[in-house]
Amino acid sequence: MTIRHLLGLYPDAERAANGADALRQAGVPQSSIEVLTDTPYPEGAFGEPPAQHRLFVFPFIGAACGFAVGLLLTAGTQLAYPMPTGGKPILSVPAMIIIMYEGTMLGAIIMTVLGIIFESRLPRARLGTYDPRISEGYVGVLVVDEDPVVGRAEQVFRQSGAEVIREREPED
Amino acid sequence: MSEIHVPHRHPTLLRLTSAAVRRELLDRVLAPAATPLLLGVFAALAIIGVIGLALRVAGGYENRVAWGYTAALLAWLFMTVHGAPLAAAGLRFVKADWRRPIVRIVELCTVGGLVTFPLFLLLLPTLPPRQGRANIWFDWPGAPGAYEAVAVLFLALTGLAMLALSARPDFAAARDAATGAARRRYAFLAGGWRGTPREWDVLRRGLVLLGALYIFALAFVQFLYPIDFGLSLIPGWISAIFPAFAMLTTLQCAAASTLIALYLWRRFGGLSDYLRLDHFWGLAKILLATSLLWFYFWWADFLTLWYGRKPPELAVLQLLVVGPYFVPFALAFLLSFVVPFGSLIWNRVRISIAGPVVVALSVLLGNFFNTVRIYVAAYSVAGMGGHALEQVPPAHPPDVIDAMIVVGVIGLIALLYTIASRVIPPVSIWEVNEGLMLRRPAHYLKGEYIVVGKPT
Repeated sequence: MTIRHLLGLYPDAERAANGADALRQAGVPQSSIEVLTDTPYPEGAFGEPPAQHRLFVFPFIGAACGFAVGLLLTAGTQLAYPMPTGGKPILSVPAMIIIMYEGTMLGAIIMTVLGIIFESRLPRARLGTYDPRISEGYVGVLVVDEDPVVGRAEQVFRQSGAEVIREREPED
Repeated sequence: MSEIHVPHRHPTLLRLTSAAVRRELLDRVLAPAATPLLLGVFAALAIIGVIGLALRVAGGYENRVAWGYTAALLAWLFMTVHGAPLAAAGLRFVKADWRRPIVRIVELCTVGGLVTFPLFLLLLPTLPPRQGRANIWFDWPGAPGAYEAVAVLFLALTGLAMLALSARPDFAAARDAATGAARRRYAFLAGGWRGTPREWDVLRRGLVLLGALYIFALAFVQFLYPIDFGLSLIPGWISAIFPAFAMLTTLQCAAASTLIALYLWRRFGGLSDYLRLDHFWGLAKILLATSLLWFYFWWADFLTLWYGRKPPELAVLQLLVVGPYFVPFALAFLLSFVVPFGSLIWNRVRISIAGPVVVALSVLLGNFFNTVRIYVAAYSVAGMGGHALEQVPPAHPPDVIDAMIVVGVIGLIALLYTIASRVIPPVSIWEVNEGLMLRRPAHYLKGEYIVVGKPT
């Protein structure tokens, strides 16, 4: 089945929001519609559902792993080479906290950066369907779907005031 | 006809369109103004600094006191250069709307990490062995060097990651406006940015997360460095407040260095449309609060030692406060507390542009003297063993190499900052345009106000 990428370019956000609405009414699935903007519009401004990603999971996983490594390193070393000193406990917790904090922090930082890279789908070799005018304030409404759906979308774009309609080379 | 009453000193609205903002800020990176004199001066200073550091290294590490001013400089850089991005992280975290034009200006300071990390590595060999002196590491292998170096490295990398992430949409705007090699360069930096809702969401949440982690990392570095390079080098100095005092002075210097940077950009960088009274006023309030806390933290530390009157603690006070380093202490007290408190309590000074900037300069100088009286004093102590300072060393004045290092390292950071600001727009285009979208002037009864929309 041929997948087509069709981009409708609107000169302002209001017409783009109406265009996106018209697409949904014309039966284009929400999962096939993407809005491209130069500014972060408030969530749902174009009728889109909240963006789905798991960025918040990454720092927690990193922090948990880093904490575990810090705990194993400090507690493990002291238990493996015990140095009884005047009847004090073998595990010196205040000194361990410093290294466990550092492990937790480093794990969280590393995983957050990796999470951002993963959730941004980087590195991206190709820009995909795009128009430089989006950086000038135009709003792009992109439809990626099979031929008949994109055909309907093209009609909607024309009726809803898209100034430019451009299509990427089809891919199989 | 009814008269419209405009409230006194109300926040002002940026009177530019999104397109004008975009065009003006992109012009700064796509066709940057020729500034050979400025870059030449900074480059010359940087060379002087590198020569100074080379001479200091060639002099060896045996004479530890010779490194005192370098240690003080690094402490000051942690407070100022690494402190300034706290303004971006903190204000973004609390969704303060007035942050928009200033966040990039302070985020650019993170390029200073390219200097502070190597400088920290140069200073590591100045630390005496842990054995026989009070320290927080007990006999932990590799401590403190390895753990502290990793912390400083990650502080620098987190800051740079924050800058790169925040600049990505602006790189995309530059990519779309540029041609030729500049287009290819910005296309690489933008990493295929298109502006989908998912990309925006990851960007906003990623910046909040990285900002929070940056604060954690800086607090950790400002816990370790003052202890290992200051407190633990002075026998008999036991203080639980000193690391917290170091973090507090970092917050104070963050506000002060942000004010100075804003003023320089407003006065010489042509950003007067963006950097208005609101920004200076907002930061002046933070500066006043942190200046009061400066006194509180210092007093809490001082009073504990003074009231106890134990000989080892009186020797520490003799060294750090009333003895050989009395002059730097007095200047620190005057410039970091008396001047900001005495001037910023007055509305006329606080609600102005020149007032907070002059006070910020005072605070930065005061805190430099504060680091001098602590770190140079700590480095001038000869014997490391024991639980008390047996002899208070005389004051160690700076030499020519110290002056070269201080001026040169600051010049090197200024050079990197200037170069970075010619590649990355000094004002975040997407954040300012988001602010324009969410702000509207409105009338209510007799007054004219600004209504700010806050997306959840």
